Amino acid sequence: MDFGPHLFLALLEGSITAAVLALTAVGLSLVFGIMRVVNVAHGEFFMLGAVFAWWITSMLGAHPVLGFVLALLFAPLLVGLIAATTDYLILRRINYNPERTIVATIGVLYIIQQLTLMTFGPEARPVTAPFNKRIALPWFENGADGFTLIWPWGLGTTTYKLAVIVAAVVILLMLWLVLTRTKWGLIMRATQLNSDMATAHGIPVDKVYAMVFGLGAALAALGAVLVVPIQQAHYLMGADPLLLSFIVVIIGGLGSLLGTVVAAVFIGLSDGIISVFFSPTLAKILATLLVAFVLIFKPNGLFGKSAE
Amino acid sequence: MLELKQVGAAYDQVQVLFDVSMNVKPGEIHCLLGRNGAGKTTTLKTIMGLVTANKGTLSFNNVSLNGLSAHQIPKQKIAYVPQGRGLFTELSVAQNIEVGLMVRGKGTSTKDKVLELFPRLKERLKQRAETLSGGEQQMLAMARALCIEPDLILLDEPTEGLQPSMIQLIRDVTIKMRDEGAAILLVEQRIDAVLSIADRVSFIERGVIAETVTASSVQNNPAMLTRYLGV
Ligand SMILES: Nc1ncnc2c1ncn2[C@@H]1O[C@H](COP(=O)(O)OP(=O)(O)O)[C@@H](O)[C@H]1O
Ligand SMILES: [Mg+2]
Repeated sequence: MDFGPHLFLALLEGSITAAVLALTAVGLSLVFGIMRVVNVAHGEFFMLGAVFAWWITSMLGAHPVLGFVLALLFAPLLVGLIAATTDYLILRRINYNPERTIVATIGVLYIIQQLTLMTFGPEARPVTAPFNKRIALPWFENGADGFTLIWPWGLGTTTYKLAVIVAAVVILLMLWLVLTRTKWGLIMRATQLNSDMATAHGIPVDKVYAMVFGLGAALAALGAVLVVPIQQAHYLMGADPLLLSFIVVIIGGLGSLLGTVVAAVFIGLSDGIISVFFSPTLAKILATLLVAFVLIFKPNGLFGKSAE
Repeated sequence: MLELKQVGAAYDQVQVLFDVSMNVKPGEIHCLLGRNGAGKTTTLKTIMGLVTANKGTLSFNNVSLNGLSAHQIPKQKIAYVPQGRGLFTELSVAQNIEVGLMVRGKGTSTKDKVLELFPRLKERLKQRAETLSGGEQQMLAMARALCIEPDLILLDEPTEGLQPSMIQLIRDVTIKMRDEGAAILLVEQRIDAVLSIADRVSFIERGVIAETVTASSVQNNPAMLTRYLGV
């Protein structure tokens, strides 16, 4: 394949990474922004989303479309409930102390991972996409008779992959509307800005925290359900999303949702390009280096506010 | 109406309040005076449930506050204007007001009534709270508190850091709030700012309420001020 179409393909693959990463990282960022909790178990909530998706779709094996729709609804809901319970039983009791929450969520990470290994097993398990039509994509060539459309062999994608990108955009837009236009969003922001004064205005901050923690985990799970037909479910699959989410959240500026989305798109696309042209390992190395530079030269992230 | 009996409170292991006993009567302006670090702010936080009392009893309109979660206290019609204003800085004036209205599900009529008292805020509804001047921020904090239609308002050093013209305005608003029917527990460090509007005064010293007297008796007794405030 020529360079042009090859790059186009890499960008397309990168967009899928970016879409799923944006959902996952926004979940992490939301939890950090509102609760000041660094959730090390975030990747495990992602993994649980994929595992529940497998579980739900395999129960409804005869109806892959129905199974997938139900997985899309119920896997994030279940994961959100588990996360909210975790918050209520563990994080609340240690008073959201920053160091202790890191240690506690590391514990949660291993508990979830090992319980999944014991029940789901060590195999990677596939989930069938609800629809998956291959489509060829055109490219243009500037030949002797001007611009012409060509259909390079191997340049294509699937309807499902495109749907993942669209779904992520729609979900992020909906989240943004909820945060900026609804009473729920106002409650979350008030809690974030001054939890004592939120309490003094009747806001049950404990419940808001449980909900936000659940919402953050549910976003990761949503990303996982969307990507599992492309990737398969596996009990160790949480590590990469966790690392990449941290990278994105740091580059985007801790707690800045817009910065997180922009950084996710940037990291996702460059991950796609570097993986296709060089190697996936190099992509991770470069991303980690970028984080190191951001931390040194712009510790509040490229989009974060400077400390006052 | 508000009744504190031998209330004690601590931050982590450090006991800060030892014996706070006082009451606030309906419709009065009750001033809580004391030196820096005496425990005035902690007393207000304990009333709001933001610091948990580890000793003594608190009640309001014969409802015990000890057993309530902090977020249930404002439902008892107690409003809090904290030291430093405690605004939701990144939210607009209108959104700050909206949070105030949430507590008791109050609607636009309350909002209109409150904004009538603060025409300067009405002109700045879309502005972010942090872009207001110090005096306007204080007004917003008071307006937000009034949204819960309180029977009691806790005011912690409302004139701190304000220009004299603003101090006058805040005083007028304080009196207006009282005239609307709310009792006011007013914390100040500067005695001259409050003595003329207060009904009674409680002095707090190292976490203990030393005495409660009428404001007029303080005026005739400068020795008292020297003793508790060092002025
Ligand atoms: N968050 C806190 N943690 C620990 N100690 C505190 C805290 N806030 C206040 N204190 C201490 O409690 C005492 C009373 O403080 P405070 O109630 O703020 O006094 P005041 O409002 O009268 O100036 C002081 O000694 C202060 O250092
Ligand atoms: Mg104080």
